[in-house]
Amino acid sequence: MTFSKAEIPAIADDYVLGLLDPSDTAAVEVEMERNGALAAAIASARERFLPLDTAIEPADVTPDLWEKITANLPATPAMPARAPQVANNDNGQSGWRAAALTGMVASLLLAAGLAYSLTRTVEPLVIAVLLNEAGEVQAVVEDFGNDTASVRLLNDFAVPADKTIQVWTLPSRDMGPMSLGLLDGSHSAVLYAQTLPEPKDAQLYEITMEQAGGSPTGRPTGPILAKGFAKLPR
Amino acid sequence: MIPDQSTYLADALFGCAKGDRQSLRLIFEREAPRLVAVAERIVRRRDLAEDVVQEAFIRIWTCAHQYAPERGSARGWIYAIVRNRALNMLRDGKREDLVAEDRLETLQETDQLEQIMAAWHRLDRNSRLRDCLGALDETKRQGILLAYVGGYSHGEIAGRLRIPLGTAKSWVRRGLASLRECMA
Repeated sequence: MTFSKAEIPAIADDYVLGLLDPSDTAAVEVEMERNGALAAAIASARERFLPLDTAIEPADVTPDLWEKITANLPATPAMPARAPQVANNDNGQSGWRAAALTGMVASLLLAAGLAYSLTRTVEPLVIAVLLNEAGEVQAVVEDFGNDTASVRLLNDFAVPADKTIQVWTLPSRDMGPMSLGLLDGSHSAVLYAQTLPEPKDAQLYEITMEQAGGSPTGRPTGPILAKGFAKLPR
Repeated sequence: MIPDQSTYLADALFGCAKGDRQSLRLIFEREAPRLVAVAERIVRRRDLAEDVVQEAFIRIWTCAHQYAPERGSARGWIYAIVRNRALNMLRDGKREDLVAEDRLETLQETDQLEQIMAAWHRLDRNSRLRDCLGALDETKRQGILLAYVGGYSHGEIAGRLRIPLGTAKSWVRRGLASLRECMA
């Protein structure tokens, strides 16, 4: 997808109307961060169509919707400034690491694109491409910090009725692996987890097959489906 | 007609970025009824629309610091988050799955088109957008409204208006170009 000056207004309209396919949507979201003309065209398209939304007949909102929101709200919102920190997690198991590094180079662009398409207006702090032992891309995790992470599965996993896929990260060796949450079958999801340290470059993420309801021990016990190390989006 | 409250909403977003829950509550009280209705037009089910708005408010809270006034109005930013989450739910789940439980779906297609077109009629009489949409050929106007209001894809627009996919794409594109020109 190209962003020539002549095309930008039409691209911005298509983006705001939701008419772009996922890869073009992702490309627009990457480009708008550095292309002021595109960002301005998108803002202007949003304002142009916004009256169609604001003139709508308001709905009667379920009384407990606000309580549901606050129940899932991280204590403090994200702060813009973040310094990359030295990872102190366990990066052992050289076979995994070699596979991860090999696959990661090839999949970084793919990951960035998919990650952006998932969340659109939002920037993840880190993106991790998860690979299986053969080095094939299986999933992409975007961690936004403040306890929100999205997990996009790129492979169909057979999940037996008494099993569930659980997502983990290793914020530090001291903390050990921490659960980000459970997936519904073999579906991508946005997870709102417990309070964890801000994700760092090279932090380990993995998905395992656990018994339904999640690992009984709070640590990964089942087979590892895929794992990978986080990278900071550039 | 809703008064422009962009400044008020921008202040509330800055409040959220500082961790003030009362600011989020203000946005919720002011905008949630319309945001739920906007999401419902896209995902077509109230319960799913509330899920969309719930997720969107958590996203608004965690990402409020990313809002910058030079990127457009606070209201546009907030609505875009809800719209994007509704569209994501639609594209991930497929519209058919979302409404599979509803056997009256085919009967409701007509109602839905009417509901979508009503968004145009509800625009303020002095609205530039209302006039400029009115100046378009009916099919172009319908295509644009199906996309924006109903979250329809090019393929769904083609199916709904019973025109070939390529025709749907080019009519929507030309309609959007006319609209930009008219509103410039």
